[in-house]
Amino acid sequence: MNAQAGIEVREISYTQAIREAMDIALSEDERVILMGEDIGVYGGAFQVTGDLVDKYGTDRVMDTPISELGGAGVAVGAALTGLRPIFEFQFSDFATLAMEQIVNQAAKVRYMLGGAVSVPVVMRFPAGSGTGAAAQHSQSLEAWLGHVPGLKVVQPATPEDAKGLLLAALDDPDPVMIFEHKLLYKMKGQVPSGRYTTPIGKAMVRREGSHVTIVATAIMVHKALEAAKALEDDGIKAEVIDLRTIRPLDRDTVLESVRKTGRLLCVYEAVKTLGIGAEVSAMVAESDAFDFLDAPIVRLGGAESPIPYNPELEKAVVPQVPDIIEAARGLAKGRT
Amino acid sequence: MPTEIIMPKVDMDMETGKIAAWHVQEGATVSKGDPIFDIETDKAAMEVEAPADGTLHHPVPEGADVAIGAPVGWLYAKGEAVGDPPAEKTPTPDVPAKAPDGEPETESPNARPAASGKETAADDDKPRATPKARKLARDAGIDLATLNGSGPHGRIQAADVAVLEDGPRHMLAPVGFKDEAGPLSVIRSKGGAGTPIVMIHGFANEAAAWSPIEAHLNERPLIRIELPCHGKSPRRRLTGFADLVSDIRRAFDDLDLQSAHLVGHSLGGAVALAIADTRASRVDSLTLIAPAGLGPDINGAVLDGIGRATRAESLGPWLRQLVADETVITDRYVRAAMMARRDPALRAAQRAMAETLFPDGTQSFDLRPALGRIAKPARIIWGKRDAIIDWRHALCAPGPVALHLFDGLGHLPHMEAPDAIGQCIAATL
Repeated sequence: MNAQAGIEVREISYTQAIREAMDIALSEDERVILMGEDIGVYGGAFQVTGDLVDKYGTDRVMDTPISELGGAGVAVGAALTGLRPIFEFQFSDFATLAMEQIVNQAAKVRYMLGGAVSVPVVMRFPAGSGTGAAAQHSQSLEAWLGHVPGLKVVQPATPEDAKGLLLAALDDPDPVMIFEHKLLYKMKGQVPSGRYTTPIGKAMVRREGSHVTIVATAIMVHKALEAAKALEDDGIKAEVIDLRTIRPLDRDTVLESVRKTGRLLCVYEAVKTLGIGAEVSAMVAESDAFDFLDAPIVRLGGAESPIPYNPELEKAVVPQVPDIIEAARGLAKGRT
Repeated sequence: MPTEIIMPKVDMDMETGKIAAWHVQEGATVSKGDPIFDIETDKAAMEVEAPADGTLHHPVPEGADVAIGAPVGWLYAKGEAVGDPPAEKTPTPDVPAKAPDGEPETESPNARPAASGKETAADDDKPRATPKARKLARDAGIDLATLNGSGPHGRIQAADVAVLEDGPRHMLAPVGFKDEAGPLSVIRSKGGAGTPIVMIHGFANEAAAWSPIEAHLNERPLIRIELPCHGKSPRRRLTGFADLVSDIRRAFDDLDLQSAHLVGHSLGGAVALAIADTRASRVDSLTLIAPAGLGPDINGAVLDGIGRATRAESLGPWLRQLVADETVITDRYVRAAMMARRDPALRAAQRAMAETLFPDGTQSFDLRPALGRIAKPARIIWGKRDAIIDWRHALCAPGPVALHLFDGLGHLPHMEAPDAIGQCIAATL
């Protein structure tokens, strides 16, 4: 964290932290604008923008029509003209509608024009399951965008990082995609006041341990920490790494941890196959940390299934704390 | 496409293998891993497991010599049409016979003598080890084959590679084994009629040890019980000789025989005697070949040497102590024997067993009183050049027990002179 002097640390929610970051950006930099469906008077689908429209007016906090492709296109265009737009999707699932603008335009324009321009757009994606929003409003598609060179993709897991990464994204000259897990919006945490940034591309060791490395993203960081606490009763010391950024990956932090523990468990909510866990696993297997592995790598990811509406099934298709405990225990005891 | 069953290469010098016996008939359905046939290489016999689920067709006849890598039969999946035998694939020998002249022999087996045993093995015979364990072993100069893995499927993990502080030369891996449950391995011959012969092999051997004399005995059903920690039997931590006997007695009782002829060699002889003592009503006759239990001394150095050996080079000199005529123990025999002992857990279990039964080169159990109680026809067969157990122990036998003492034979008379010993047993049954 890179904060100014005279800061005050308070407990606020993830939602408030994001809003605070946007407020700071709007007040400090007149190039910053907010765009998205119902982010104005309504305050946003998840009330993240809240009353910012009252403070900054509809020229800077703009409701866009129900067209993700159109809205994202305008945001990319605005960024090309020198503005710093933050575009909010109501659900990350709707990124599918805006893929042309994200993948073919935002990620490519700088390259296509030989570096003459860049696209400093920030897009925010409420993501993940757990809210009973069913198959079309609950997915975790971050790895889709993580696959595209030209984009940066972050997944803040705490209120502090939600604010710090959003401000870092605005400082970044290139498009940054922020995936915010919907169940984290109400989570409270210690957040410094004022401006600070959390570095993009830098993971964080949330808990140190020597027996097994758990690499997790977003809400799974908290489940992994809960699991690590339970594992301690078994005498198993789990190290929990919050990946924070999935593109670019923080190779050093992960490899250093695996060299220490010799065991790797990847936990992520997105569908397991071809997911971020596959990338992290392969990264370790291809590195010199391979020689330090003392057990096969284990991935815990979402089931090969759409997210069900039924709340029990919805829980069943994504990793839960007992799943993590069991997997980590198996790894640490050499049973996997 | 049916699955080929291939003649495996189990010995460095092996070019062909002989199908000793099929365990299943043509048309029988087998599961992957079921033992389906025995092969003979020189003096050792080995079981080969089914490579897949399926129904056996076109098996090569028993007794046929088959080139390494050539099919000996095919397994057809359910519903697969059975026609003529599929065309043979070209066998691909896994070790080139000789590098062409002038070319550097980069992968010559001679370059890595320690690994020569492994190179003959199929892929799944390579030690299963984690990358970390491999690195630790590599850095310390430890041969993974000497370690016992505590992980799933015997996988060697870092904790299994113990590194002592005084350097690689003195590093002894903590070779352990897991106590296993389950019944002892029992191998029955197919044919034969009348009262069966129950055979119990000796220490550091297995059921296949009986094969040299079986031709003389197989008019009767042959039932070979394998000692715990030997052959395909579970590994057990034995508390003493009584524990061993009760384990084998359970296997004997499970056979549910009205009567049996008991034949035991060495340690197996002592066990056979103990069973004959406690199951007298079901034992028609007792044959003890160089039995343990009739005197205090035993050649501990040889037991130790065999138990310690991790490669053919160190096993051979000790095996040759077992016979009077050392030429019987060929290099090929030694390699096959090492192959059968390649599982470090098996070796560890046997060493623990030897330590329990024969501490300090001493036989910890005395069966002379039991021999005195035997009321059924009993005989002792011994080679007078036995270097493991002194043949004079036989002299303690009471009058009714017949002694057959052979000049010029060692501790394995049934292997050195199978005809003489086989006929000797068969004639008196």
